Order: sequence, then C-alpha cells, then structure tokens
Amino acid sequence: MTTIRTIAVGFDGSPDSEVALVWALDLAGPLGARVVAVHARGLLSRLEGWNSREMESIVARLAHEHGVADGDASVRVEEGDACSVLVRCSQAPVNADVLVVGSRGEGKHPGLLLGSTSLELAQRAEVALVIVPGERDAASV
Amino acid sequence: MLIVNELTENAAHEDPGHPERPERVGAVAAGIGSLHLGGDVVNVAPYRATRTELVRVHDGTYLDELGAYCYAGGGDLDEDTYATYDSWAIAQFAAGAGLAVVNEMTHRGEGVGFVAVRPPGHHAQRDRAMGFCLLNNVAVSAAALADRGERVLIVDWDVHHGNGTQSMFWNDPRVLYVSTHQWPLFPGTGVAQEVGGLDAVNRTINIPVPPGSTGDTLVRALDEVAAPVIDEFDPTWVLVSAGYDAHRADPMGDLLLTSGDFARLARRVREVVPAPGRLALFLEGGYNLEALRTSVAATLGTLLDAPFDAAPPSSGGAGEDVATRVREQRRVALELARAARTSGEDA
Ligand SMILES: [Zn+2]
Repeated sequence: MTTIRTIAVGFDGSPDSEVALVWALDLAGPLGARVVAVHARGLLSRLEGWNSREMESIVARLAHEHGVADGDASVRVEEGDACSVLVRCSQAPVNADVLVVGSRGEGKHPGLLLGSTSLELAQRAEVALVIVPGERDAASV
Repeated sequence: MLIVNELTENAAHEDPGHPERPERVGAVAAGIGSLHLGGDVVNVAPYRATRTELVRVHDGTYLDELGAYCYAGGGDLDEDTYATYDSWAIAQFAAGAGLAVVNEMTHRGEGVGFVAVRPPGHHAQRDRAMGFCLLNNVAVSAAALADRGERVLIVDWDVHHGNGTQSMFWNDPRVLYVSTHQWPLFPGTGVAQEVGGLDAVNRTINIPVPPGSTGDTLVRALDEVAAPVIDEFDPTWVLVSAGYDAHRADPMGDLLLTSGDFARLARRVREVVPAPGRLALFLEGGYNLEALRTSVAATLGTLLDAPFDAAPPSSGGAGEDVATRVREQRRVALELARAARTSGEDA
C-alpha cells in the first residue's frame, strides 16, 4: 500500500483552493504527512501582483488550526501553468504522493477537456489526484 | 525585400485588459512603416492552415477540441490563455500566414520573411494551449519545411522558453532549436541540460539567463555555445521566434535588452542564413507597444539594410558567466545522452 508522506495542494489564495488546502491538512494530520501548498506563477501573475508572505501566513494559520505542525506545512512558488506545475510536484524535489486541487477551473464547457484544470490534471497526473468540491463558507471550515 | 503577411489586428480574438491584445499588430505595422521600405515590401495573403499541415505538430483530438471549445463560445483555457468564438479560425489563419510567407519566399528565393500574427505560438504544445498560445505557428512552418527535406534552425529570443516548440522537435534531428530566455521564469522549462531526445541529441540548445541580464550576455552565449553547433548542423532554413518581451520596458520579464540589442541579435542570425530567401521571423511576445515598435524596426532595419533609430545596445548586466556555465552543463548532459544512446543501440 502507498505510504503518503507528502501531499501537494494547488493553492492560489482563492476560496476553493483554501478548501482544498484544509482538506489536505486534515488528511495530513493523522498520517503525519507534510503538506506543500503549491502556487503556480503563470504569465499573468506578475501583472496581477501577489504576495507570497500573505500565502505563507494563510497556510501557517490553517495548519495551526488543523493541528499540523508548523514545519510540516509549507508554501512553494513555481513558475509555470497550474497544471504543469502540479504534475511536476510528483517528481523531485517535492516528491508528492498525492495531488489535491479545488474544483475551481472545472471548465466552461462540460464534456470538453480543454479549460478544465482538474480534468486535465486527471489525465496527466502521475500520482493519485483528489478534487475537492468547493464550499461557499470556506473560511469557517 | 520584406515578405510579410497582410497585417490584421484580429480584434475578434481579444480579452479586455489582457496584454496579448490586437494593438500589438498595430505596433508592428508602425515599426515596419518607420523603415520607409516603399516598393520593397511584398504582402502575402494568409490562408487557413489545413488539418494535414497542423497535425504535423498537433494532435488531431486537440484540434477537434479547440475548434469545439471556440464554437461553444470560448472562455479561459487556463489561467493565462483565452479563446473566443472566432479564435479557432484566427489561429488557423495565423499558422497559415507563416506557411504562406515561407511558400512565397521559397518561390522567390529572396527576401526576409516576417510573420506578424496573433495569437503567438511558441508555448502551444501538441495537445494543449498555453501561455497565450493556441497553435504553434513557427513549429507548423518548421515541420512543413522539414517534410520537404530542409534542415531547419529555429532561434527563439523571446524572454520565455518556447516549451511547445522544444517539445514538438525534441526527438526530431531535422530541426535545431536554440532558445535564449530568462530563468527562472514562466513556463519553468528550458534548463541547459535539456539537449534533445535520443534521436536528436544536441538538437536542443537552451541558454537560460538570470534576471537583469543585458544583450551582451545573450550574444556572447549564442557565439560561444550555439554557433559551433549551428555550423555543424548546417541549416538550409532559419526561422526566428521573435518575441520582444526581453526588452527592458516589457512588463512580462526582467531582462534589460534595448531595441539596439535586437539589431545585434538580428545580425548574428543573418550570419547563419545559408542563402537569400531562407530567413523568416515569427512574432511571439512583446507587450510594451513602444518597445515592440522600435525593436521590430531595429530587427528588420538590420536585416534589410534600411536606416532605423534604435537605443544603444545594453551591456554589463547580470549573468556574465552564463556562457561558461551553460557550456559545462551541456557538456555533462551531452555525455549522458550519448552514453544512453549507445547503450540503447547495444541492447
Ligand atoms: Zn514571451
């Protein structure tokens, strides 16, 4: 049986990605696994402005709230599109055993693979993939 | 003589506020206009690239899906890349514009080709859109030339690594792909150790340079790392993925190139063109309209011996050790690849 040591979760600061992060933290606690919140920097991200410190503090706060030790939850920022960056997380140096994503990016046109990060990931991922449905009141989870 | 596609802004492929916008073609047109080429310009009507021409580098299922996605109304393909109802047709015409220019040049046996289309292409993969790109325009033309028996050199000086183009020709010995790009930067690929697949060892040359690099770094690395391989490859055609986002005023990167640096890069490229009418440039990035205008003018002015205004080339920036480092990283990677190839043949 697969031992889950590292969980990589796609995290862009959106409510849905926060729900996915919480799900990953709740899974990690009992397993003693570490969680890596992965932020993909796409082409437009440098124009939009983002703050890695802010992300780090969200991750630290949620890790604390969900009983995951500080050292076991981290933020990783990588250049690339979200799908490719997450696929790469199953390789070194992250070596994720599981990928977790929120359901945002479900795709505009049902039935088409294009435009859906989660469906595309399902096709390209080299390790298990968990798609966590979004919740409106993510912050109160 | 400049052989250029009929310029159109393709306003129906637009996402308000997105930097890959119709006005970019207007900036290119202004840059060409500033050269006052008069009758020395041939405008080529683009055509819609056929499925046969596209499947040389793209999966048929991807083409079907992209068409269906657009006709369903389009939308965001990923966090960076959009499509509209009209994008499928526009992308086919963009790929076809490259083919039309290359065909015209083949027929004439003279001139310098420029393919000023949008959306750009070099991030587009076999089976997916990415990084503002839907179809890989330069790759479609390179594959068409390779199928005619040509040895094609692609020089990609966009600030981003052309991951789509590299992957399409990764294992194809008929095409030599040379890229200078900022690293780290989107899309995260393009390290020096990527030297080509087992059937095309040394047919990929990546020259990643750090933020703050100047034009002299790129030129030196091209001279020291790429030139000997290009000589040996002996191209019969040269295509350029001419992105202008390495310009210091461009919002998408952190390199410090000026319009004068593009003149310098163009001179280097001209030196490896084997015969008249065997050089075509394809617009990729370039999102500061003024930088785009002046840099296109500097590039084409240099290649066509027309007077142009340009800022002095840049020098003295970061990455002075790039050429040495890239050469060493490639040496090790090439040894490993050749050993793997030999053991594969023995098996
Ligand atoms: Zn670019």
